[in-house]
Formats: sequence, C-alpha cells, structure tokens
Amino acid sequence: MNLVHAKNDIYLDLQKHLFQEARILSAERYDDWLNTILSDDIYYCMDMPQRRFREDKSGQRAPAKTPIFKDDMESLKVRVGRYSTGFVWAENPMNASRHIISNVEVFETDEKDQFKVYSIVELHRSRLDSDRKRITVGREDTWIKSAEGYKLLTRSMTLDDSVVLDSNMNFFL
Amino acid sequence: MEKLDDLIDFKTGRQKRLIYSDADIYEQEMEKIFGRSWLFLAHECQLEKPGDFIRTFMGEDEVLVVRQKDKSVKAFLNTCTHRGNRLCKADHGNSKTFVCNYHGWSFNFSGELTGVPLEEAAYGNDLDKSKFGMVEVAQIASYKGLIFATFDEQAPSLEDSLGEMKWYMDVWLDAMPEGTELIGTAMKVELPVNWKLAVENVSGDGYHLGWAHAGAMTVTAESGIAGLSVGNSEVDNAAAVSVAGLNGHTVLAALDGKSGYAFYNEYQKAWDYLDANRATVVERLGKFRGEKMWGSQVNMTVFPNLQFLPGLNWFRVYHPKGPGKFEMWTWAMVDKEMSDELKQVILDNVSRTFGPAGMFDNDDGDNLQAATEQSRGWRTGQMDVYTNMALGGEHSREEMPGVISEGLVCEQNQRYVYRRWLEMMKADSWADIPFYNSLEEAQATEGK
Repeated sequence: MNLVHAKNDIYLDLQKHLFQEARILSAERYDDWLNTILSDDIYYCMDMPQRRFREDKSGQRAPAKTPIFKDDMESLKVRVGRYSTGFVWAENPMNASRHIISNVEVFETDEKDQFKVYSIVELHRSRLDSDRKRITVGREDTWIKSAEGYKLLTRSMTLDDSVVLDSNMNFFL
Repeated sequence: MEKLDDLIDFKTGRQKRLIYSDADIYEQEMEKIFGRSWLFLAHECQLEKPGDFIRTFMGEDEVLVVRQKDKSVKAFLNTCTHRGNRLCKADHGNSKTFVCNYHGWSFNFSGELTGVPLEEAAYGNDLDKSKFGMVEVAQIASYKGLIFATFDEQAPSLEDSLGEMKWYMDVWLDAMPEGTELIGTAMKVELPVNWKLAVENVSGDGYHLGWAHAGAMTVTAESGIAGLSVGNSEVDNAAAVSVAGLNGHTVLAALDGKSGYAFYNEYQKAWDYLDANRATVVERLGKFRGEKMWGSQVNMTVFPNLQFLPGLNWFRVYHPKGPGKFEMWTWAMVDKEMSDELKQVILDNVSRTFGPAGMFDNDDGDNLQAATEQSRGWRTGQMDVYTNMALGGEHSREEMPGVISEGLVCEQNQRYVYRRWLEMMKADSWADIPFYNSLEEAQATEGK
C-alpha cells in the first residue's frame, strides 16, 4: 500500500490527541478516556507474541492468535467498572504511571475523515518501594474525525515481550 | 536446612514460611519433586506432524518435545552435547533438524547427531557420533491427550501416579467422544512468586474468590458462583466439594453443572452447548459426573505444577525459576466437538478473565508476590502460615473417590498438597513415597 502522509495541521491535531490521551491514561481518568477519546465503535486489541524461526512457515493451529486485549466499548466499560468498584486492591495506593508516546506517524486512508496513526508507547509504572515496571508496545490506530472532533476507532497493539514481565496489566495503552 | 518435618504439619495445617524463600529448600525441590515427578509437556494436538516441536521446561531444565515419524513423541534436553549451548530458541514450530549456533553440530528430530562440521579434518574420524545424541527424558507417556514425562527411570507409570485423579480428569478429557484440544498460543507471564503459592491457591482456595476478586466478581455476569458472593459475605458449602488424598492431586468442584461459565459475557452460548450434549456426557461418564460436574466450576491440580479448570476452560503449567520466581503458561482448552464460534468465545473469555490482562488473574499476582516477599525477612521468615480451615471435616462419599470435605471454602486440599510435598522431599526414592486414593489409604499412610 502506498502510504500518503497527512497534512501537517492534521498531524499536529492528532499528535495533540495522543498526548492528551496519554495524560488521561496516566492519571487513570478512565471515564474521560471512554467518553472523550474513544469512538462508541472502538475495537481495542493486543495479541500474545510468539517466538518462531523466520524460515518456519508451518501452519498455525486455528485460532492462531490469542488475545491479551480484544475489547469493544461494552467490554472496556466492564474493565473500567472493575476499577470503579474500589475493590481492586493491587491499585491502592495508586501506582504512578507515565505513558510516553513517540514515533508518531499519520497517514491518509481511503476514507475521507479517517487517518491511520502509528505510534510507540512506553509505559513506566512505579509500584511498591523500588519496584519499577516498563512495557513497550507498538500501536496502529485508526482515528476518525467526527462532529465532536477526533475519536479513536481502532487500536491494534503489538507487545514486544513474549513473556509478560508484570504481575498484572491493570492499565490501558 | 531445618529438619524437613519441622517445615510442614499436616495435622494442624501449618507451614514454615522458609519453604517459600530458602534457596537450599528450592534446590531440594528441583531434585526431589521436579526431578522425579511426571511433569506436563504438551497436548497431543500441539504436535500434529513429524518434526513439530515445542520448547518447554521440566523444573529449570529446558526440554524440546518433538513428534516423530512413527507418530510417537520424544522429549530431549534442549542442549548441545558438545559445549552445552541451547539448541532451539523458538517457542514452537516444525523443523527437520536442530542445529547448534555455536559450532554447527546438527541433530535430526529423532535426537541423533547427524552432522559435525570438519568432522574428518578436526576429529580424524575418532568421534563416535552415536554417543553424542540429544539426551532424552527417562520416561514419556500420555493420558487422553496430555503428554507427560519424568527424569526418573524408577517413577511408577503415569497412570499409577495419577491414580484415581484420572476419574476426575475424565470429566474434561473424556467427556466428549473426540476429547479436548488446546487453542491459541500460550499466554506467558513471569511472576516474582514462589511456585507453591500459586499451586496451593488454585488447588483449594475458594476462600479468596469473593474478597481478592471482589472487583471482577462485581462486574462480571452471573457472578454469584457456587454459593459464593462478593466480599465473602456468605457461602453455601453444600453446593461444592474439596477433594484430595489422590496421590497429592486435588479437585475443587462446584456441583451445579453450569457455574464454570459464570464469568463469561456470552455464557448462554456455552450453556446451550452443555444442554445439547449433556445426555452424551451422562452416557459416557454416568449421572454424577455428567450432571453434577460437567460444566461446573472445577479446579484440578496434578501435582506438582499442572492445573486446569474445565468450565472456566483454562489450562496452566508453572515453571519455577528460583525460589522467588516462576513463569506461568496459560492456554484455553476446549472440546474438539465445539463449534468454531464457541471455541473463539471461550478463547476470548479465558484471556479476558485469566490471561495476562485477565480481570481475575490480575488480582492474584500482587497478593502472591507479597506472600513470597513476606517469607524473607529475618524475623518474618521464622513465622508460620496456616491452612487450618475445616480441620477434621474429611470424609468419604460413595459417589466419588478420594478424601472429601464440604465446600469451596475449605483448606483441606492445600494441606494435602503440602503433605505430598513433604512426602516427596523426605523420600530417597519412589519406593518410599506412599500412594493413597481413599480416606482409609490416606489415613493408613499418614506420616509414613
């Protein structure tokens, strides 16, 4: 596919949205995330990575992909609802999080008001005492421009670790 | 190291915290427990064609499990017999040979050393290649789709080792004519936790469900499961059983025939499947297992490190990585007869509840990590911990084998897991390890 860069004003607008979203997620303002960042038709997914030989083309047993996240608005509301109960003891006291966003690229798509956005997110979590966790994920998004402004329509995330190195993933990326 | 008998008291349900942190005890576990138990390697369905392989672990030993041309399965230490390099770095796949990256020695998938670079020039044809094949496990066997191996030539057969646990395993492995399969890929998580704390939790700890998982229980569908409610405010112990005394293996089972799917957001699809196939299962397994157990929330533990939960449909093995660390590998397991649609529903729900971002699993890690860390302090490490709930409630029941106590909220199973741990740690060989599959046998062998 021949990717065409979006115009600079669109690039800047979407980068602002990515940074704003990162700040909202780091602050765990999850209701704001659902209501102001995400489209009602959101599809939010991440698969479990596998390490295989480059030359190994042998068939994958179906279904080949195992999701870590595979969520729509309804199931994201359930995840957020779990945090809202106040019963997720692992998150009290609150763990300090920083979502660092980089390598942002914005491209046109066949749809007039939709844009493909690549980015990398590096999440740092400072947990109990000296416990510091870091996770890096590549993201491929579709953002849609609607009457209410830009909304995130799809996010497909690639986790870099083939073994998850944190005792929970009580966060969004 | 302290005397082993001081570490565990089966009668009172007491454990010394040292067993979760002490490096010497951990080394003994590798030899006495992981070095001679039957350990889960792979599901038959993961190795379809000759050359299909999986890289896994037996204790801290890295193992390649490979399908052979004659359909048998072999398991080898994943290491070159020359200078000890790792042979295969892929998680799984298909390969005709395993070639060492260090000097290029190559082994065929039957484990024979077939290629040595510069063999004539460097070794002068003095190298007897037949003596340098990949090293195999001592015994390998499978039970209804599950492949196990042991490093101990003296270990009793897999079937004898499982004993009456097979009767319970069949509730999943043999419920439907075509049996089971693992779907998707392994969801792998590393946790800073002693392996026994995870195993004991799933073996018998229904007590933590309503409290540790209160957040997830509150928001998931049909969360009033098997007489348990959010916040541990009430419990109906008649609705479920804890079963132990099965050579160290345990079962925790609701008896309602449908609660296994209670955390699913599309549980009705699973319940329709249960309704449509219940008669078949009753015919194969009888009324009790077919009506009361199939579809229920059931936790099965095959000592020391395999756990699977029919209903919730997850299948998990723990690989220890030192006294304070393990890797946890989780798959979704399904009946082969299920529709592709239902299989996908199950895979998605296993991930959503017990995957790396699973709403239930994400509650357990920090608790178990803290319990591990709280066994390290100089003063704290001298303390005991207890699984002393429902002492003396053990009884027999005509309809099922093993030692039974009432309810999911009961610590009988953990006591039996630690009893097996002590029996294996103390024994010089398998001849000294007792076998028991009923209350009478368990009582007759206690402390032996």
